[in-house]
Amino acid sequence: MTTLLEARHATRIFGGGLFDRTATLALDDFSLAIDADRPAITGVVGESGSGKTTLARVLLGLTAPTTGQILYQSQDLQTMSRQGWRRFRRDVQVIFQDPYGVYNPFYRVDHMLTTPVAKFGLATSRAKARELIDDVLRAVGLRPEETLGRFPHQLSGGQRQRIMVARALLLSPRVILADEPVSMVDASLRATILASLSTMNRDRGISIVYITHDLATAYQISDTIVVLYRGSVAEIGDVELVVKQPRHPYTQLLLSSIPLASPERTWLTAKEPVPVAAADRSDTGCKFAARCPSVAPPCREAAPPLFQTDPARAVACYLYRDAPSASGDHSEPGRSSR
Amino acid sequence: MRDLTVHYDTPLGAVRAADRISFSLCAGERLGFAGESGSGKSTMALAILRMIQPPGRIDGGQVRLDGVDLLSLGDEEMRRVRLARIALIPQGSMNALNPVMRIRDQIMDGLTDHGVRMSRREGDERVRELLESVGLGRDVAERFPHELSGGMKQRACIAIAISLRPRVIIADEPTSALDVVVQKQVMETLARVQKELDASVILVGHDMGLMAQFVDRVGVMYAGKLVEVSPVREIFTRSLHPYTRMLIASLPSLEKKGTFSGIPGLIPLLRDLPPGCAFHPRCPEAVARCRTEEPALREVRPDGWGACHLV
Repeated sequence: MTTLLEARHATRIFGGGLFDRTATLALDDFSLAIDADRPAITGVVGESGSGKTTLARVLLGLTAPTTGQILYQSQDLQTMSRQGWRRFRRDVQVIFQDPYGVYNPFYRVDHMLTTPVAKFGLATSRAKARELIDDVLRAVGLRPEETLGRFPHQLSGGQRQRIMVARALLLSPRVILADEPVSMVDASLRATILASLSTMNRDRGISIVYITHDLATAYQISDTIVVLYRGSVAEIGDVELVVKQPRHPYTQLLLSSIPLASPERTWLTAKEPVPVAAADRSDTGCKFAARCPSVAPPCREAAPPLFQTDPARAVACYLYRDAPSASGDHSEPGRSSR
Repeated sequence: MRDLTVHYDTPLGAVRAADRISFSLCAGERLGFAGESGSGKSTMALAILRMIQPPGRIDGGQVRLDGVDLLSLGDEEMRRVRLARIALIPQGSMNALNPVMRIRDQIMDGLTDHGVRMSRREGDERVRELLESVGLGRDVAERFPHELSGGMKQRACIAIAISLRPRVIIADEPTSALDVVVQKQVMETLARVQKELDASVILVGHDMGLMAQFVDRVGVMYAGKLVEVSPVREIFTRSLHPYTRMLIASLPSLEKKGTFSGIPGLIPLLRDLPPGCAFHPRCPEAVARCRTEEPALREVRPDGWGACHLV
């Protein structure tokens, strides 16, 4: 396969040096490859603090990895030519999580949409540009006449986020990285926005990296799921395998925590509360060991590598140590064919 | 609650954010209010506590708690009802707690304000008990909010809410900012303390999954009106309103792909409501009558209330 965008053993540490105890390991030896030939939707799922946003920033070249590389069309983002960088910035678009911070409060929201149209010459006339903008706004469920001409503070967070989705739609890029694009949008509109991501993937061949805390929406649109736990991959593979037969104890915990919309009520348990301990930040061993119901002595000694438990899935857990190691290229186990 | 109406004054005229809302809440019951943002569910919940801020105002109706109409109370009397009889667990615990006050002092603040006098030692003991009942260690008492995780802060808010053993706990999207694993723990905590107090809970939220798993009855709100109130099992198996069904369908399933569909169109602007049923422009089942005549909320079957011409 030809890889379009690739993370190769990317690690990002904040604060202190590599061996500083106060340092935060936000991303730990992360590898992922986006296939150019078979554009797919890759869902990256993790709780807050799992390194989702750091991953997004590293993949976008906004934060350099402390060690490891990010490659776009086999060129390292850090050493890329100016021209390559410009191409990257057009081809790889992002939808950020926070619809408040991305707007300049002094400009009308139109600015967010007309700038890319002008910069990249997407329309030949003012009327064409307006048509294009109206189209993408409607695609995300906004009424153009009620949206354009407004200032950011006059719109709700959900509306602002939808404009960001519209902006990414406008550029027809090769990769869209969506960092929690629907977490601030009403449930009734999530489907519409995620469906438009799916449509872009299917009809225009745009690869999507969908970063989210919500396993249910990730399941609905993704081909491959990456479960991130404190900066490392816990489980990666085909979406049906990961969601229907989760293997990693953390994936199992996540799935059992989601309240299902069904009248069969099995979610709440009457067990006594476990006093909340400060997060265990031990440096060695599996990061999930402190919360894991199946923890064993080896888990405390060294972090588990990814084991290839199924042809289309790998799990970083010693419960599956008999399976062959999925060394090197993490993209293989998670590779999906559609 | 009977015919509660809340208006917000805007430069373009007053809009009705809660329109003649009526329901009853039984002792020990968990009642959920669901709806999209802007449906009036938070307004309704805050109106119970008379915490609507200008430009909003309560324009009539009754909120009776054990026979006393809260809307007729004086401000000072109402202040005594808050926390002691009806407590609120706010939406963003990070914003609800005072950043420069230790958790201990924030819990004691409510107690002393409601006339509870106790020694330092008794106070410490009470704070410790409250923290333990929500699954927090005693060391949390001396912490500042920034030293706690989101789930711990939300539990601290629950500890404050139950400190005077209220009859009703209003939880306004108590877990919307939390991870699912923590959400489950917080909801389990809430369920447990509610049982211990035999209090009633009003849960406001948009997550139908959470409603399905937590509450006994669900009220569905749309454009400031209550459009259905039914026991939770019936909401999910034979609901009375098309909007309820669409709200449930908009929840992504983990069972089957492609089962997740949005609700077409947008929630109408409150200042520009369509004639007839406010939901008719988005309703796949709308008939001519829906465009002209507004359906009233009526008891369609025992304990099942719906505001739809089709039932």
